[in-house]
Amino acid sequence: MEGTSPVESSKNEYSNLSLRPLDVSDIDDFMVWATDEKVTRFCTWEPYTNKEDGLNFIKNTVLPHPWFRAICLDNRPIGAISVTSNSGNDRCRGELGYVLASNYWGKGIVTRAVKMVADTIFEEWPHLERLEALVDVENVGSQKVLEKAGFSREGVLRKYCVLKGKSRDMVMFSLLSIDPRPQI
Amino acid sequence: MGEITLRPYEVSDIDEFLEWASDEEVIRLSRLERFNSREDALCYFKEVVIPHPCYRAICLDGRPIGFIFFEPGSGKTKCRGLIGYALGAKYWGQGITTKAVKILTSAVFKEFPEIERVEAFVDVENKASARVLEKAGFQKEGILRKWIVLNGKTTDVSMFGLLSTDPVVGTN
Repeated sequence: MEGTSPVESSKNEYSNLSLRPLDVSDIDDFMVWATDEKVTRFCTWEPYTNKEDGLNFIKNTVLPHPWFRAICLDNRPIGAISVTSNSGNDRCRGELGYVLASNYWGKGIVTRAVKMVADTIFEEWPHLERLEALVDVENVGSQKVLEKAGFSREGVLRKYCVLKGKSRDMVMFSLLSIDPRPQI
Repeated sequence: MGEITLRPYEVSDIDEFLEWASDEEVIRLSRLERFNSREDALCYFKEVVIPHPCYRAICLDGRPIGFIFFEPGSGKTKCRGLIGYALGAKYWGQGITTKAVKILTSAVFKEFPEIERVEAFVDVENKASARVLEKAGFQKEGILRKWIVLNGKTTDVSMFGLLSTDPVVGTN
């Protein structure tokens, strides 16, 4: 995995916010948001119920992931943000996902983390031209994050994904490498 | 217009497949890889088209003149599937592809109860293909910018969706 040096926030307001790789030693912090059903409401996964499952997720999914970072406050993980990569004719796009412990919601932290990712991912992956994100139509908070981070809302894809056994309408957002980015 | 039917491809269809698979216009507007030789096309035909469970020849009075396929999703995308199609250029403009899309989508919803959505994406410049989908009852849901590489170039596409619950457009 390239570019694993921490990405730090430059403005005073978020000077203690950073992105860094997540490791098995972060398991206790991981379990704080991963066991919270408020957090997992719009995730495809159910809240974790035991540490071993959490450790397996970190070992099997996080460590080999093409781009996965813990969102950290004073270097303690309070959430995570990731970009998936595609191959072949789909390599020009990557999908953004994020999750944050619920007691930190509403402070602009994820918006800031998304902006930090947008500022590094296109340099790290020169083949990437489009960063996209899919948000449940009912997840208004997450839609606001992307709008504030400068993403364009492209449309609603009906019955696009299955979430907790039900097909859901999803809003598609994108940020292109050539799009203007709002100031951090 | 003669009768339009869909059927699985057979190895003996290779010559007709090659005829329109090497058509410049068809290649320009579709995702078809340019076949560098008859062997390439034959290989693709035998290894992809023939074994694929949902590849169908579009036939006019029993003769294959194009293809249409359905690719179901899995896991969190199991509620949806993608369709794609290509038709020999000399048959364009007669509503043949629209008819083939209607036949396939109604068969898909009948045979795959988990599928609630059939989708297709087209190059924003491919107005004819967009018309096919509109006439077949699909809704244009948005333009996805620089979504996919087609013929070596990142391309803006229009995303179309048809739900099993959408009104059925009359089959004619």
